[in-house]
Amino acid sequence: MKFFDLLRLIFGNLSRRKARVALTAIGVVIGTSAVVILVSLAIGLQRNANEQLYGIGDLSQIQVSSAMGGSGGVFMEGGGRPGSAPGQSADQPPLLTNDALDQLRGIPGVEAVIPQEYFYSGMTMKFQRLEGGASLRGVDTLDLAVLGMEAMQGSTELKRGGVVIGAKISSNFWDPRLRPGQEPPPPPDLYNQQLQIVAMKWDSEGNEIRKNLSLRVTGVLEETGNDTDWTVFMPLSEVKSLNEWASGVKINYNKDGYNQVIVKVVDPREALDIANQINEMGFQAFTPQSFVEGINSFYLVLQFIFGGVGAIALLVAAIGIANTMAMSILERTREIGLMKAVGATNRDVLAIFLGEAAGIGFIGGLGGVVIGWLAGQGINVLAIVYLANQASQQGGIPPSVAVYTPLWLPLFALVFSTFIGMLSGLYPALRAATMIPVLALKYE
Amino acid sequence: MDAPFIRIKGLTKHYQMGGQVVRALDGVDLDIEAHTFTVVMGPSGSGKSTLLYLLGGLDRATSGEILVDGQRLDQMDENALALFRRRTMGFVFQSFNLIPSMTALENVSFPMQFAGMNATQRGKQAGGLLEQVGLGNRADHRPTELSGGQQQRVAIARALVNNPSLILADEPTGNLDTSSGAAIMQLLSDLHRSGRTVLVVTHDPRMIRFATHKIYLLDGRVVSEAEYQSAALETARDIQGE
Repeated sequence: MKFFDLLRLIFGNLSRRKARVALTAIGVVIGTSAVVILVSLAIGLQRNANEQLYGIGDLSQIQVSSAMGGSGGVFMEGGGRPGSAPGQSADQPPLLTNDALDQLRGIPGVEAVIPQEYFYSGMTMKFQRLEGGASLRGVDTLDLAVLGMEAMQGSTELKRGGVVIGAKISSNFWDPRLRPGQEPPPPPDLYNQQLQIVAMKWDSEGNEIRKNLSLRVTGVLEETGNDTDWTVFMPLSEVKSLNEWASGVKINYNKDGYNQVIVKVVDPREALDIANQINEMGFQAFTPQSFVEGINSFYLVLQFIFGGVGAIALLVAAIGIANTMAMSILERTREIGLMKAVGATNRDVLAIFLGEAAGIGFIGGLGGVVIGWLAGQGINVLAIVYLANQASQQGGIPPSVAVYTPLWLPLFALVFSTFIGMLSGLYPALRAATMIPVLALKYE
Repeated sequence: MDAPFIRIKGLTKHYQMGGQVVRALDGVDLDIEAHTFTVVMGPSGSGKSTLLYLLGGLDRATSGEILVDGQRLDQMDENALALFRRRTMGFVFQSFNLIPSMTALENVSFPMQFAGMNATQRGKQAGGLLEQVGLGNRADHRPTELSGGQQQRVAIARALVNNPSLILADEPTGNLDTSSGAAIMQLLSDLHRSGRTVLVVTHDPRMIRFATHKIYLLDGRVVSEAEYQSAALETARDIQGE
């Protein structure tokens, strides 16, 4: 039997019983539209989350620290930290010494290895009458551009006696003498100004000891959305000496290792692999990529759960198809006998009835895809208005989509519903195909 | 020595019915030559329809051999039987078995789909056959819009589409009034004269006049005309005696 004739016969047969086919197909419509809407919703949520994650950090950077925790023993007066003994034993995690850094540089795909250190103790900033807070980070590089940062004002170069500040630093200043009801001052333009940094430590009796630094702002960075916006960058050696002042202990990077290093990779897609290699060397590596992938796998699970809910509706529809086909075959028993008498093979009969079941699945799937897609668009319009409202109230980023239907989804849903239809028609069709012709012809 | 067109040897067909074995055919031996018009006579329950369906490969024998056109039907698998029916046989049934949703033309061309013939060729051939059975002007009518005699003529046209050498008819006039029945028998007789082998199963004695060969069946066995007549007389006497 030719394929086109088969198709014509199948759809001719289906159009003979329009009401019954329509009623059976409605079940498939509901199931398919549920699959399309729910999976679209899960994908939309994932896209949303990924949009919000843009501020999570540079995906080409891996932060590596010693598995011991912080370096330098700066909080342990007297340097009682176990790793400080030369010639570490095997069960102690390795330290981020210069040798270790060379090892990290040797990993294929690594572009740069840059040690960094935060200032541990308390600090405030002063500019004219204003005070501000920030975190102070020392980076062992001459130019922050190595870390992918860009300057909004000035340059990204780090110089002695100078600082490069994040984009939000200036908005973090306030006037301590402001009286209630007074208008807060506008954020100051700090570029090329002298910034006072007040470092603080406390002696054993709890008395505050201050140290004043006056530093010129040589650059203001572009906004990134992550913690660099709130950071004051200095050369590593200056933060090191500040930490030595705060703890009263000399830090020997060669012996104690660095606190933290940033490993910059050439290709962000390799970041996770390289992070795993670094973990195997005994260090603790963190990349935002692993976070993003964790979130993505969560949404993948969500897609499966949502898809599964829709699939249950499709399963019910499949039973409906099986029932309709079984009834239809009983009614058409004599027709089946006739087909066989005029030379239809078992395969012909099987193909006709499987095709009719698949046809019901296809018709229902088509309806479900259209309805599911339309419903998704409707939800989108409503939800985006609502979420944009929420976002503007909370100062977040308004979402661009709530429900997202990728092209593969309707195609998949259509193929899947057709397949489900065919599968549920398998048993009735097999029964039809294996009927004994004479019994089928005499069936009353 | 050539084998006859149909040769049946030791054919039996037993059914289980309500715990009892029914011997529908109980050892039938038959030779039927090509280009004959054979009428199989017998009362209901004599096994004549069973014989026809076994000959047509629509049912399986319990034992025995069936040879049609040099091929052993009892040794064929389902698929081969279907192909054999498609190429060699045309069936005509008592209840016509037309598909109600299809027009006369579609009903006639239906079997050609399974043979993989293309649509234009199918339409042409089916139209020609409807002309031949005198229904050229009814091609677009559905079965419900046709009389019984017309429906049976559509069915005969359908039986002819694959140009079969053997026509098997099961009580083709059973559902028809006398004059349409006679017209159908005339049509079958014409098919015989055009060179086909025709086998008709009936219990209507008026059909005998078209036959070149007669076969009488009683209780699943082939009997002579004399035995058949005396059995018929006995039955008549029994009924009168009651």
